[in-house]
Amino acid sequence: MPGDSIIYRLDPRGKFLLTFYFVGIVFLANNVASYAFLLAFVLFAVYLSKINFGFFIKGLQPIFWLILFTVALQLFFTPSNHPIWHWGFLTFSKEGMVIAAYIFIRFVLIIFISTLLTLTTTPIEISDSIESILKPLKKINFPVTQVALMLSIALRFVPLLVDETTKIMDAQRARGVDFGEGGLIKRIKSFVPILIPLFVSSFSIAYDLAIAMESRGYKDGEGRSKYRVLNWSKRDNFMILFMTVLTIILLFLRSY
Amino acid sequence: MEKIISIANLNYTYPDAKQAAINDLSLDIYKNEWISIVGKNGSGKSTLTKLIDGLIEADSGTISVAGQIINEDNIWEARKKIGIIFQNPDHQFVGATVEDDVAFGLENQGMPREQMVKEIDRALELVKMSDFKKRDPQSLSGGQKQRVAIAGVLATKPQIIIMDESTSMLDPDGRKTVLNLVQQLRKEQDLTIISITHDIEETELSQRIVVLNTGKIVKDGKPVEIYDLGTDLRKYGLEEPFSSKLMSTLRDTVKLPEGYLSEEELEQQLWKLHSNM
Repeated sequence: MPGDSIIYRLDPRGKFLLTFYFVGIVFLANNVASYAFLLAFVLFAVYLSKINFGFFIKGLQPIFWLILFTVALQLFFTPSNHPIWHWGFLTFSKEGMVIAAYIFIRFVLIIFISTLLTLTTTPIEISDSIESILKPLKKINFPVTQVALMLSIALRFVPLLVDETTKIMDAQRARGVDFGEGGLIKRIKSFVPILIPLFVSSFSIAYDLAIAMESRGYKDGEGRSKYRVLNWSKRDNFMILFMTVLTIILLFLRSY
Repeated sequence: MEKIISIANLNYTYPDAKQAAINDLSLDIYKNEWISIVGKNGSGKSTLTKLIDGLIEADSGTISVAGQIINEDNIWEARKKIGIIFQNPDHQFVGATVEDDVAFGLENQGMPREQMVKEIDRALELVKMSDFKKRDPQSLSGGQKQRVAIAGVLATKPQIIIMDESTSMLDPDGRKTVLNLVQQLRKEQDLTIISITHDIEETELSQRIVVLNTGKIVKDGKPVEIYDLGTDLRKYGLEEPFSSKLMSTLRDTVKLPEGYLSEEELEQQLWKLHSNM
């Protein structure tokens, strides 16, 4: 999503790695204080991004059922010596409620922070970061630049293939295919007439693109210079420092 | 006039094909001219483009670009002199944004970044797309995409631009803008333009037309000479231009001067007839 704030201006490499790091340290939290602290941090980061809070809530939607299921599981299956309510194998207790709440917050933290990354970083920046992070693999002859170019072309062609899919679906509808009707098996089957033409047209696009790339002098990815550059600045160092302090406080709160 | 491309006795047959796609073809193309290569589907015109750029290898015959016969060793040098604009604007866009796409050819040459920034600005300025620098291709019209493709080619400073049906997927406005832009660039940048098309109407800006049929050159002449063939063009799977069609219909009832008239000349004649009435 286009926008401008301190979070947008951070180096994508740093953002990418720190997001993963944060997802890791979320699992260190073990009590009310540590969870509250992490939640405060994430909300602060969301505030700094200047992005409408609604977008973050939307990020939760796709896995809403998974969250509900996991929370319910913790609520009813946490063993306890002082159950509030007990029936057969189902137990409902204070401990269960606490763990369920933790799990819920953990989900929210992870979804919010990764939504923050994807909203403030363009796909191409992420692909550039991956290239930069994987660079050491060049030593063992891993084709890093080629893979990065592949990734960026794949990203670039997603909207085109979506258009292509819509076109094929319309064409098949005109021939009488019904995509929304029937049982599960029937619905899955009705996607075959989309997939095959889509495959064929992707190959023809790939062929055209390969010819176009070669005509513009693309050889094998060696000896190329780069137009997009990533700039590591002071604020990125500051971010790392900030994350370190955050980890120390978290470790302190954990044993508190 | 200085020759820029010289093709001699070129032959090419696609693997598993019975008929030759290019059949003993010889052609000289001169510096700064706009030459149109026309022919129906399967006449060999696109094959010829690919052969010139070394994207496929000829069975026999030679092609020289700017005085040098191309072979496996110097093909990358020759490619630097040639830029191709393909038919489908969506299938040649490599970059995620306009500027990234223009940069692609320069990145391939390993140009330092500071120089690239200048070249990209210059190329986008030439096609009047500077305001769209940061845009993604999906948000552009077909004509704008082709202008970006032209900028991508111009950035590498080629001497020859091949347009392989580049305007066939554009609307009339987009086509007109692109063709006029190419004409202007040809004059200003001293470029040679080879335009490949099956639509005779698209040849109006060219100085020379070559008609290709089953891999052979069947006609080579000034546009007036080719348009004058009238219904004979149908033999090669081509439609006669609109003005020529109109003229042959008019000749049934009114008196018009002999030979082909350009659209403007025809208009003048019609006005003359009108005032005599």
